[in-house]
Amino acid sequence: MRKAGSVDNKEGSMFKKVGARLTLLLGASLVAVIGLVSSGSALGGAGQSCGTVTLNEYGWAGSTANTYVAKYVLEKRLGCTVKITKITEVPSYQAMADGKVDAVLEDWGYPDQFAQYVTKQKTVVFVGSNGLLGHIGWFIPKYLLKQYPQFKTWKGLKGKESVFKTPESGSQGTFLGGDPAFQQKDKELIEALGLDFKHVTAGGYSAEVARVSQLIKQRKPVIFYWWTPEYLNAYLNLVEVQLPPRFKGCNDVGGGGGDVKQYRCRYASVPLKKLFSKEFAQSGSPAVKVLRKFKWPNNDAQNLVGKWITVDKLKPDKAAEKWVKANAATVNAWLK
Amino acid sequence: MTTVTELAPVTPVLSHRPWWRGKLVQTAGIVALMYLAYRAWALEYPWPDRLEWHRLTGHLDDFQTWLIDERNAQDPGFVFTIFNSFATFVDHLVNWFDRLLLWLTWVGTTVAGTLIALRFGGWRAAAWVAGAFATFAVTGLWLESMQTLALMLAAVGLSLLVGIPLGIYAGLSDRFLRAITPVLDAMQIVPTFAYLIPVVILFSVGPGAAVVSTMIYAIPPAVRITALGIRGVPVNTVEAATSMGATGGQVLSKVQLPLSRRTLLLGVNQTIMFALSMVVIAGLIGGGGLGDVVTSGLYTNPALAILGGVAIVIMAMALDRSTEAVANRTDPAHRHLTEARRGRLRLATVATVVGIVLTVTLAKLFGAAAIYPETATAQDWLVAHVQSVLDYVQDPTTFVFSITEPLGTFIVVQLVQPLLQFLVEAPWFTTLAGVTAIAFVVSGLRPAVTTLAMFTAIGVLGMWEPAMETFAQVLVATAMTVLIGVALGVWAAESNAVSKTLRPINDVLQTLPQLVYIIPFVYLMPISYVPGIVASVLYAFPAVVRLVERGVRDVAPDTVEAASAFGATRRQVLGKVKIPLASDAVMLGVNQGIIMVLGVVVIAGLVGSGGLGYLVAQGLQRGQFGLGLLASLAILAMGIALDRVTQASRRTRKEGIV
Repeated sequence: MRKAGSVDNKEGSMFKKVGARLTLLLGASLVAVIGLVSSGSALGGAGQSCGTVTLNEYGWAGSTANTYVAKYVLEKRLGCTVKITKITEVPSYQAMADGKVDAVLEDWGYPDQFAQYVTKQKTVVFVGSNGLLGHIGWFIPKYLLKQYPQFKTWKGLKGKESVFKTPESGSQGTFLGGDPAFQQKDKELIEALGLDFKHVTAGGYSAEVARVSQLIKQRKPVIFYWWTPEYLNAYLNLVEVQLPPRFKGCNDVGGGGGDVKQYRCRYASVPLKKLFSKEFAQSGSPAVKVLRKFKWPNNDAQNLVGKWITVDKLKPDKAAEKWVKANAATVNAWLK
Repeated sequence: MTTVTELAPVTPVLSHRPWWRGKLVQTAGIVALMYLAYRAWALEYPWPDRLEWHRLTGHLDDFQTWLIDERNAQDPGFVFTIFNSFATFVDHLVNWFDRLLLWLTWVGTTVAGTLIALRFGGWRAAAWVAGAFATFAVTGLWLESMQTLALMLAAVGLSLLVGIPLGIYAGLSDRFLRAITPVLDAMQIVPTFAYLIPVVILFSVGPGAAVVSTMIYAIPPAVRITALGIRGVPVNTVEAATSMGATGGQVLSKVQLPLSRRTLLLGVNQTIMFALSMVVIAGLIGGGGLGDVVTSGLYTNPALAILGGVAIVIMAMALDRSTEAVANRTDPAHRHLTEARRGRLRLATVATVVGIVLTVTLAKLFGAAAIYPETATAQDWLVAHVQSVLDYVQDPTTFVFSITEPLGTFIVVQLVQPLLQFLVEAPWFTTLAGVTAIAFVVSGLRPAVTTLAMFTAIGVLGMWEPAMETFAQVLVATAMTVLIGVALGVWAAESNAVSKTLRPINDVLQTLPQLVYIIPFVYLMPISYVPGIVASVLYAFPAVVRLVERGVRDVAPDTVEAASAFGATRRQVLGKVKIPLASDAVMLGVNQGIIMVLGVVVIAGLVGSGGLGYLVAQGLQRGQFGLGLLASLAILAMGIALDRVTQASRRTRKEGIV
């Protein structure tokens, strides 16, 4: 399934499409020539037909959904060739700086990298939100609320931590921490809220999914670091535990030490970002315009595609096709 | 605290000293003292803040920032130009291999691989290679497999290009060997995750960067085994050549290299195996191929990830068996070349070349595709079946789960948790003193000094607590590894059937990416620490089995005969003669076991082991270079200490016996 992108590069299927796209190509190259002449810029390849666009996919279902929907639109509507790389988050910034990756469609924000690559060097360009609102929090399965309605807020957890006891936590409750790659401050929060939780790391994303879904299958109590948008929330029927409100200067990046009071608030909700490499942003490729407009209508849309891929085992290409066909209006707005 | 004493070697058989001077007893005494101190002052003396070098992390982060700014400046300096052009060169090389493999078409590649294996390795090797290509086709992972194969060709080729000359030099010069050994150790112990970021900054992402990080891991075996081969050439042969007036260069090219050819080819074999174990991690920085199938399959389609893992294992086994066959064939001892045979071989070579050219031409003429046609694969069927097995594993109501879960809980509650609590909560100075004293008792002054220095360094780096968390798990995992490894190794040495059965299992365990087999354990033993420990044990015990088996088998037959002649039963021969005489190999097994367990620490961190492994992963993935590097250095320090202690105890034993 993952082949399709690179197969097109290597096999002859390009040739078949060439005929059908000849008009488009001619038009595009005409624009390119005019563009080159009028701007007098020495930038080779500016404004030419789409060519190859490299998108980077990260290690979670939502990112797969973004990447393949964009791939489908670029390939079927613009005639681009889309290559998908799978470079992990922080190195992908350098990949964009080197022009080896053209675009990332769901960045959760790495403050240091953003400051260095986007703000200072300008080798990576921020091009707005992808329409999703990312939010990290503490989640529990909904069935727990029947027995413990007070778990709706963190205050209700106080004194009841031992409900979440596991063999590794002794007399305390277990709080399952998140993937090492993700921003988190749960150790500090637990301390600041005076809760009797032991912070246990579940490991990477897939390990956390495995552990949590199994506990839920057994209908056991579990409280863990999780986020929206994520297809699993609806699938596993999760609810968020309300944490204290935000205040000015509240810190979300744990691990820095200092007074734990500065972390005593819920995580901020952040619009998820689209990032381009500088080279791609300036290339004048028609894909730039479309990806700039690429935007999910809401979190649920992405969750749906994510569920098709992971739960229903639809191949990402097929899932993207299904969604694009059902949401023609949204997609057409990107192409205007 | 049985686990601590596991590290101590078995009490010497030939010892005539009073019982209270035995190493085991002394170690137990030290542990008892440590335990008393723990009871008295638990939690009262964590590693003191004053003894930590807090600003180091900041300095390292600043260095990284500076490096990235220089790297991406309008006009990057000369140094970066060199790195860049090397990366571009390797990118082109990999792409060239990749295109070549696809250009040959799937029919051509299969036939070419099989015929080459047939010519140089024989029928069995050819069967393995053909089987491997069939696997790539049936699993529908042809393209990914070719990408990985191209990456391997480049990485192994370049590793040998660097490793063999260094190995030859290390074989000739003692001083150079001494100088390079710690560097090679570091290259193998420092977790790959730690240098992925620097590699990306210097070489960008893509096949080039993937090849560089693979080379860092795959060069050490090439150097070590080459040096071993050169050193294995009998001294009198070299002397004979020198006395006949051969120059140094002539001795090397006409005597030492030809005579060590078999070892050199085994070095190639090991380099390939080490390189293949990096496929998945190289995928994180743009290596592509099967590594991508595994990493991205893990969260969207675990069954496909398992198929990817299987393809990697089959590729590894085919490469291993065929290079081994080639190595054995070129062994001068097995090769009696007559003029007629030489002629026949030449003919076979020509036939091979003609066969390949013919197949490729025909394949091209009949329009065979570059990639095995997707419609003819059994991928969907395989994925569905693997998925049903996974569904069974995930089901917490099955019989299997009712056994595995309590077992996992037992390991954590009875073994890891108490040890962890003891190591983390005991006053830092008693732990430090205790570990040093045990090192002294077990293996002498120098290793004790090394241990003291290394553990102090861990504290100064600010890694004391996570390091103790990791240390506890490493001890438990090593104890289990040694227990299983020695038991199976001895059994395999005594029974050929067992040995034959174990070999493929060992191969699978050593080459299957840990992330693949670890996932079922996350389901079956859903408790932090356990999947990580299981992964380390599964990865490390095959090496122990191999070393122990070889050690026991290599015990001189006349010694065994003598013992039997005195009326010793088979069990007595084994217990009183073979195992004690093989204790060297056993200790080497312990040593290797520990190093390999440490190699899995980071992967274990990704499935809930916490400790240093989690920090290294965090350092890579959140761009906290300083943190990741310090945690890696702590792993390295722990590795050096454990390595020196187990290595030296082997040496003291040897000296004691001889």
